Amino acid sequence: MKFFRSITGAAVLAAVLAGAGIADAKTLKMAYDADPVSLDPHEQLSGGTLQLSHMLFDPLVRWTKDLGFEGRIAKSWERLDDVTVRFHLRQGVKFHSGNTLTAKDVKWTFDRLRTSPDFKGIFLPFKDMKIIDDHTVDLVTDGPFPLVLHDATYIFPMDSKFYEGKAEITKHGDSFASQHASGTGPFVITSREQGVRVEFTRFKDYWDKSSPGNVDKIIFTPIAEDPTRVAALLSGDVDFIAPVPPTDLERIDADPNVDLVTMTGTRIITLQMNQNRVEAFKDPKVRLAIVYAINNAGIAKKIMKGFGTAAGQMSPEGYLGYNEKLTPRFDLAKAQALMKEAGYGDGLSISMMCPNNRYVNDAKICEAAANMLAKIKIKVDLTTMPKAQYWPKFDERAADIMMIGWHSDTEDSANFYEFLSMTPNKDSGRGQYNSGNYSNAEVDRLTEASLLETDDAKRAEMLRKVEQIMYDEAAFVPLHWQDLSWAARKGVNIEAVVNVQNFPYLGDLVIK
Amino acid sequence: MHILAFLIRRSAQAVIVMLVISVIGFSIQDQLGDPLRELVGQSVSEAERDAMRDRMGLNDPFWVQYFRFLGNAVHGDLGNSYFFKKPALDVILAKFPATFELVIGATLIFVSISIPAGVYCAINPRSLLARAIMGGSIIGISVPIFLTAIFLIWIFAVELGWMPSYGRGETVTLPWGWPTGFLTRDGLAHLVLPSISLASIMLPLFVRLIRAEMMETLGTEYVRFAWAKGLTARRVWFVHAFRNTLLPVVTVGGMQIGTLIAYTILTETVFQWPGMGFLFLEAVNRVDTPLIIAYIIVVGLIFVVVNTIVDLVYTLINPMVKLPGAQG
Amino acid sequence: MLSLSAFTRRFLADPTAIGAFIVVAALVAMAVLAPWIAPHDPYDPLQIDIMDSEMPPSWMPGGEERFLLGTDPQGRGVLSTIMHGTGISLLIGIGAVIVQAFIGVSLGLISGYRGGWIDSFLMRLADIQMSLSTLMLAIISLAVFSAAFGPEAYAQYAIFFLILVIGVAEWPRYARTVRASVLAEKKKEYVDAARIIGLAPRIIMRRHILPNTLTPVLVISTIQVAEAIVTEAALSFLGLGMPVNRPSLGSLIRSGFEFIFSGSWWITLFPAIVLILLILSINLLGDWLRDTLNPKLRRGED
Repeated sequence: MKFFRSITGAAVLAAVLAGAGIADAKTLKMAYDADPVSLDPHEQLSGGTLQLSHMLFDPLVRWTKDLGFEGRIAKSWERLDDVTVRFHLRQGVKFHSGNTLTAKDVKWTFDRLRTSPDFKGIFLPFKDMKIIDDHTVDLVTDGPFPLVLHDATYIFPMDSKFYEGKAEITKHGDSFASQHASGTGPFVITSREQGVRVEFTRFKDYWDKSSPGNVDKIIFTPIAEDPTRVAALLSGDVDFIAPVPPTDLERIDADPNVDLVTMTGTRIITLQMNQNRVEAFKDPKVRLAIVYAINNAGIAKKIMKGFGTAAGQMSPEGYLGYNEKLTPRFDLAKAQALMKEAGYGDGLSISMMCPNNRYVNDAKICEAAANMLAKIKIKVDLTTMPKAQYWPKFDERAADIMMIGWHSDTEDSANFYEFLSMTPNKDSGRGQYNSGNYSNAEVDRLTEASLLETDDAKRAEMLRKVEQIMYDEAAFVPLHWQDLSWAARKGVNIEAVVNVQNFPYLGDLVIK
Repeated sequence: MHILAFLIRRSAQAVIVMLVISVIGFSIQDQLGDPLRELVGQSVSEAERDAMRDRMGLNDPFWVQYFRFLGNAVHGDLGNSYFFKKPALDVILAKFPATFELVIGATLIFVSISIPAGVYCAINPRSLLARAIMGGSIIGISVPIFLTAIFLIWIFAVELGWMPSYGRGETVTLPWGWPTGFLTRDGLAHLVLPSISLASIMLPLFVRLIRAEMMETLGTEYVRFAWAKGLTARRVWFVHAFRNTLLPVVTVGGMQIGTLIAYTILTETVFQWPGMGFLFLEAVNRVDTPLIIAYIIVVGLIFVVVNTIVDLVYTLINPMVKLPGAQG
Repeated sequence: MLSLSAFTRRFLADPTAIGAFIVVAALVAMAVLAPWIAPHDPYDPLQIDIMDSEMPPSWMPGGEERFLLGTDPQGRGVLSTIMHGTGISLLIGIGAVIVQAFIGVSLGLISGYRGGWIDSFLMRLADIQMSLSTLMLAIISLAVFSAAFGPEAYAQYAIFFLILVIGVAEWPRYARTVRASVLAEKKKEYVDAARIIGLAPRIIMRRHILPNTLTPVLVISTIQVAEAIVTEAALSFLGLGMPVNRPSLGSLIRSGFEFIFSGSWWITLFPAIVLILLILSINLLGDWLRDTLNPKLRRGED
């Protein structure tokens, strides 16, 4: 009898322990609007690829919420001289395959990045990565370069032995790397059906023991259609979705079972005025008039419903170039006066083009802007179109005013000016997206200088000066920074792991 | 033999129609923006892009690209959707069950209502009820289907909260891969409003059609003969008259397939019902060319097949329905 | 054929007909006079302010007298937009019917009079086109047009595209009706007489047969206008019709639809009511006309 009871007791105890073990295993069901096209982190430079990289791999360093850096594979670093930054790598970091990470893997990854058509541009300023010893590497740049750490966030060391001999990069081809991955990241892919579902399990030998994350399994489904994705969240089919479609922001916010997390983003939405097409736009007074006529705070409030932050400049708060004195401007009377002063009191007739499915509420924003310009006698002929047709038109500079949004790859102000404000130069690639053909020699000089200056304080001064110049001359029309948004059911604490880059650090996610 | 010749002739016509569709569809591609945009990031240089275009065969002359397209199409490869990054045909076929179930739901409703209503109106055309039904059918035809759908959503989903307002709800996947909404309470709840909307526009059409055909049949000598034979009213109406009404109704109804597909697109749009129609419109909005072309081809195929079947049925049965004195 | 006085007498005796006629006349008057009687000009950007957007109707909290029926998401008054939009809907409806009638009557005459292979060919074409359904043809053609011509051209010429597409899609109905009449008339003696005299077929068709086919044409035209308006509304609702800044009733409903869920129901409801009234009254009028002038054309027997 006693024997029997103790056996039963032991069995119950075992069951309870096993149950507790199972109860502790947290599964996250999530849905993005698309699934990763490939497991090769170097195949395509896109948000989706980078989000996946943070799950399967770890970068040398990564961004913190307040736009600082924290070491991941690199536990510390120091700048040795103008052109060299030394990184000290953690020891005992394991890859999914079981191999141990050494400096060789980091260099291998770096070299491969430079052959990737999408990523090589980021690493142009770099000369080489030198291996000092098994756990130390030096990044050497061609000249003084301030954004070494910014770019180091793109280096996700890959398991060189795993990929040995099968490392080719192809665009949606069937390369080995696009179907198989071995990284140091918190999750391993256990099954993948492209376009349908991906399953991840937590990597047992993950190096980061101090990570608070308790997610053991992730079931990822891509749901391209916005309303279906939202419905899946609200019905409990999934626990976490991103992005949240703008038409549902209010509804999700109001739902008691779901948390909406938003953050002022770093993507600036702007309108560019083409000086080559419209003589009047060469006059800063006319450009200023346009800036004063457009009520971007009103747009942020009424059209974006508060999910956008009105902007007076390109750099968002937290960037070196951000100048709090440059506030959004709206003054209809002043705008009309400026037009008269410039000699255009009778108005102008111009054309405007905008995409209708690229940025949040893009078409509605442009419609509102066109209506506002009518009040200073600028007659706008507006056309909106899907992004597939818009980008070729943008390349052609097909309209007098065109909309463009930009997010800096390096999370640094200079990137904005490099592509949007510098005098267009086909050879160097500067000003590639400067459809307005705005050109200011001082802006050019300061931007170039900022890319060679390693002292942050000096850089900040240069970058802020650029913003001031552009503000005074109305180089472009700033609208707002788009908010980022994520939604998860209560108990899934995504607030802690999301950031303005939109790379949720799911390895650190805690589910209650 | 007769039938074989008919089938061959129809198949030839069908192939020609499909080819025309495919050429039209394929030629739109030129106008539709750069497929490369979807594949590469913002900062890739123009030179790299050109190189990729060459490698993907996008710089070849029109006819070369068209025949490549045709060759692939015959194997069921209609290209990859830009948005879904999956084979276009697969994307469309994946949505087929949703559309099909919506159509079935609507058909169940309108068939079960329009037949009794139409027959009743034919038998008692002057009664109050018949006049009310005919009056109602005018209103039904005058309210565009998307408005009916919007009103239903607004009243039952938004204001009263009784019904879900969009989507398909929970589905259960049957063993052979067909996700169905009929087996779950949630799925059925989601089917209600959309089915009613789609039925609401087919109903008045069919009530009028059945009434008209039945009234004509009731006036034929064949039926008068049945009366003369002393058969009961019930037999005359439902066995003789109704059976002969059914054929023209089915054939005319079969011709409505185009209307049905169009109305399905509207219903799916309002309810964001994840079927083929909604998919098509989104593809148009996104200029997802492969998907647009694939949809047109699939719908063209459905349409041709249904029409051929209807014609076949009609020719097969028609000779036997040569009623003396009737207007064939 | 009915004499004018008999016609008027029948009209005045039927309350439905009178009622429908009054509604149609009122809406047409509203549309035609819109530029003068609308409280605002919804196409004048000077009068639109984004801060006025999504205001409820004046009798509700938050509403203002200025905007009797509330405002849309850009700040345009709903009442004014409805007044102008009705005009566009009517314009497209009538324009499309003119195109349909022109093509359909011509082809119907030729088909009926000539007979032979032209007749078979045209009727077969008509069959295929009718089974494709106007809406389906229109959706596909417009999707292709807008993709091929690009959005600027499309937005500018949308109204012409719509009239053209709806017009071309519906000619079979006219052709068939006219052909039926022609076949009946062909057997009559006066046609033989004309032929014997040596009149050219075209003249016979135009001068003799055509006038006798006009009654059925007139009858179905009314209903076809309603059909065209419904079709255009559906197309605009799908986004394939009139652009946002020159909206018809259908595109108004479209732009208001997404706001049903967030509570701004007035942007959709009022245009919807006007649309239904318009279509219903035209349909009633058309039905009455058909019953009075030519009961044989009941739709179910087509």
